[in-house]
Amino acid sequence: MTRVHISFILFLIAISIAGMVHVVRAQNLTDTLRLKEFEVKSNYSTDNSCFKRVKIDSVILINHQNTDLSNILSQYSAIFIKSYGNGGLATPSFRGTTAQHTQVEWNGINLNSPMLGQVDLSQIPVSQFDGLEILYGSAGIARTSGAFGGVINLVTNPDWNNRLNILAMQSLASFSTFTSNVNVAAGSSSFQSHTKFNYSSATNDFPYYNDYLKETIHQQNASFALFGMSEELFWKLKDRHLFSLKVRYNQNDQNLPPTVTDYNLDHLEKQNTKDLFAVLEYKLVGKKYNLVVKSAFADQRMQYRLDSSINAVHQYYQWISKVRFSYNGIRGLSIRPGIDFTYDQVISDDYDGMKTRSTTSFFTEVNYMAGQRVKTSLVIREDLIDAKFLPIVPALGVEYFPWKNQDLSFSVNLARNYRYPTLNDLFWTVSGNPDLKPETNYSVEGGFTLYHKSNDRKFRFDLTLTGYYSWIYNMITWSPASGNSNLWQPENIDQIHARGLEAGLNFNWKVLNFDLSLDNNFNFCHSTYQKASSAYDQKIGKQLIYIPVNTLNSTFSAARWKFYLNYNFCYVSDRYTAKDNLSVMPGYILSNIILGKNISLRNFILSLQLEIRNLMDLDYQSIANRPMPGRNYAVTLKFSMPKLNRQ
Amino acid sequence: MKEKNTPIYNLLTLFSLLALTIFSDSCSKTPIREKTVVPPDTTHTVSYANGIFVVNEGNFNWANASVTFIDNSSNTLIQDIFRKSNNRILGDVAESMKIADNLGYLVINNSNRIEVVSLADFKSVSTINGLDSPRFLEIVDSTKAYVTNLRSDVSIINLKTNTVSGSIKTNGWTENLIRYNKYMLVTSIGMFSDPSAQRRAQILVIDTQTDAIVDSIQTGKEPIGLVIDKKQKVWVLCSGGYDNFEAPSLIRINPELRMIEKTFTFADPTLVPSRLCINPTGDTMYFLRNGVCRMPVSAAALPSQPMIGPEGRLLYGLAIHPSTGHIYVSDAKDYVQNGTVYQYDTYGTLVKSYTAGRIPGSFCFTKSSNK
Repeated sequence: MTRVHISFILFLIAISIAGMVHVVRAQNLTDTLRLKEFEVKSNYSTDNSCFKRVKIDSVILINHQNTDLSNILSQYSAIFIKSYGNGGLATPSFRGTTAQHTQVEWNGINLNSPMLGQVDLSQIPVSQFDGLEILYGSAGIARTSGAFGGVINLVTNPDWNNRLNILAMQSLASFSTFTSNVNVAAGSSSFQSHTKFNYSSATNDFPYYNDYLKETIHQQNASFALFGMSEELFWKLKDRHLFSLKVRYNQNDQNLPPTVTDYNLDHLEKQNTKDLFAVLEYKLVGKKYNLVVKSAFADQRMQYRLDSSINAVHQYYQWISKVRFSYNGIRGLSIRPGIDFTYDQVISDDYDGMKTRSTTSFFTEVNYMAGQRVKTSLVIREDLIDAKFLPIVPALGVEYFPWKNQDLSFSVNLARNYRYPTLNDLFWTVSGNPDLKPETNYSVEGGFTLYHKSNDRKFRFDLTLTGYYSWIYNMITWSPASGNSNLWQPENIDQIHARGLEAGLNFNWKVLNFDLSLDNNFNFCHSTYQKASSAYDQKIGKQLIYIPVNTLNSTFSAARWKFYLNYNFCYVSDRYTAKDNLSVMPGYILSNIILGKNISLRNFILSLQLEIRNLMDLDYQSIANRPMPGRNYAVTLKFSMPKLNRQ
Repeated sequence: MKEKNTPIYNLLTLFSLLALTIFSDSCSKTPIREKTVVPPDTTHTVSYANGIFVVNEGNFNWANASVTFIDNSSNTLIQDIFRKSNNRILGDVAESMKIADNLGYLVINNSNRIEVVSLADFKSVSTINGLDSPRFLEIVDSTKAYVTNLRSDVSIINLKTNTVSGSIKTNGWTENLIRYNKYMLVTSIGMFSDPSAQRRAQILVIDTQTDAIVDSIQTGKEPIGLVIDKKQKVWVLCSGGYDNFEAPSLIRINPELRMIEKTFTFADPTLVPSRLCINPTGDTMYFLRNGVCRMPVSAAALPSQPMIGPEGRLLYGLAIHPSTGHIYVSDAKDYVQNGTVYQYDTYGTLVKSYTAGRIPGSFCFTKSSNK
């Protein structure tokens, strides 16, 4: 391989991931991989590390191919996931904000519904992406406006070394849960095709103690069947041009379970969703510049049914175009202007007629490295929505490296951000409020990152500490209209002040051929209501509902003799169920354990994995009156060919 | 492969210590359930003979409905009395409560059932299932009651067996009920899935002996309040439709002739009235509309100003004490915290305020409640 070829591969990875790696966790017998930041002289710099970005190691994803994004985030990140249970709605709560303040992207397409403004993370299977990066707070401004909490970025990458790779996985878990994945990747050094199928179904009739009946019964009407497939084609020409086409189709039929009081099942709620996403991308790589042009289409059809009394269909279409130009000709400086254009169209049984919205986003990112120690980054974004300009969204960050090897860095950033109302907020029949103003967010963040590696490379640790202050004004909340208490309308009535601390501490130790690691994420978040909505409102200064003040997740891993063991535990502190903080869901600790073995045969690898979830058989509820399963098990058999070193 | 012993022992010790701390931490076997920050008072024993039940709706699909009791005998306030007596939650959206024959009937709208409790100790004696989003219950006689439903017909309840014994076919959503001689007058709003334009708003006249609809009287859109005055005239409060189809109105009906006698139309369509009530002597009506409004039955026009202003509160529930005539009105605040009930005398002077539960919506007064 020529030097240019290696650089090009690195460039592609960099473009896809678009950020510097801060935290890497190793779990199996793999080489620990830490991507160093790119120096400008390589011409492929992807700097902008003054903001907090964390990449979840792909090895973690490999062990969790039988599950979905919500499980990965709740076990391995500082994001709190509010979940209705196995296969049920799971939404992120990031830095004291709500689900609508977190954007999830797949290969650059926003997965948040333009109607609701949020994503159901339980409907994104891990098998559908290769890389997961989390952009905290104002780091998301480089990608979009409105994501006050942050952006979760899912990517799929080609491996140009691959000729043929087949992966088949079958998982059997408690409550008649079946998950199957088949991935086939084939190609040459200039062409790659990835085909993926995933199917997951469960009757989900787990036993739980029903306080109403005072006996253990089985959960009802909670079954689901999720099917997805995707096809990705990558074509590289002369190491200068890269074309890719990625198409993904998902279908989910879900039954929505009732609260614990409705064991009678008089009324059955069902929901089915069909999505289609397609992205066509062209990258041009030059000596001092590169250009990315992306065109995408997204569409979702959701149907909700309640017995025979309600049958509502909601359909949205999105056409997206993105152009990004990056110029690195001047030493130490990179300038990246771009334009995004999105056209949303919604046809819903609950809207009066078809509604549309055009959003054009102009932005530029300027990164400057002053000497070897100081890096600065400025991002400016301006959105034009239906011919109306929003105020400018600026973000400014500085990073300082006191040591030459850059193992220690301090960073500070501040930003102002806007989130415009969702289409439901504007156009829902009768209740929609077209006079809504966008929400405003001011945030400031500071922190440091420290790496240490022992001289013999057998011991490593990294420590990240970030503190933030964030203010949200004119937050949109649905509440009863002043003249008519039976009519609920969205209004700019709330004001939130969030402050917190995020700490990550990861150790990795190779001893006696054991590969051990301990990864910890601790999160403190005090997010409070600051504005009264009525005269005797008791919520001022109180914690937002369903947002825990403290969360901690830790994973201990050990690997030896081709066996691997993961022990993960998550602690979630109390969450209030009332805005006056007078009623509460008590905190709890959940632990999970995975034991697996990779059997190396001649041309392929067979993996057997056993999992015990909710190891302590805790009788818990995360959301009030919604039961959760006790101890449950999963067995997974994975076949992959050919044998890859990283397995 | 030869390995040294000491590092392995160190490793094992470390691992077991880690496992031990983790195991001991999460060994708690107490189920994790929603609870109040201030633990409820379990020592206090209460008689439910003399007081006011405040029915707290709770949030839709959260299953956090509850009942607060204002005890007039001991001058105390007890929260969540259903859970206190039965050690379980009440259900999802408690719409209303009715007392008959020393039993309390709690209509739980989104749990599709009625909880029947003994008024001696508020313990559940029975549960009536087979309803379809029930709203209000009205007693016909000691053996029979009618229950209105949002999604289907009027259910006939056999009070001896506490089961649904039949139904009266209606055109969808029925809401309020009042007795008039041998008839039951029921407000019928129309099909829940239809827009206001297609909903047929009327009052159904049901013969309680035959359970048949004998007549209907057309009203303004969405009739949500029904009272009878001292002159045996029936008043209906119409909201005008959830989609502001027409202006709200208050209609007086002669139930004998089954004809509309007078219609008062509200000038400002954005202020929607609700919770029509009447005082014990049947001469003064009250309703919520940007505050508490009072209107004598003999008035020639709608009140121009509320008697009790909202004063920044989100007034949600209203009831008039059947003996004292005092006004009980609730403030639901922002719907996601405890509400407050305010008691005013007939002059509009504040007597007392009480903390209630989540979204206090309706009230139920015991037979002997005074003060």
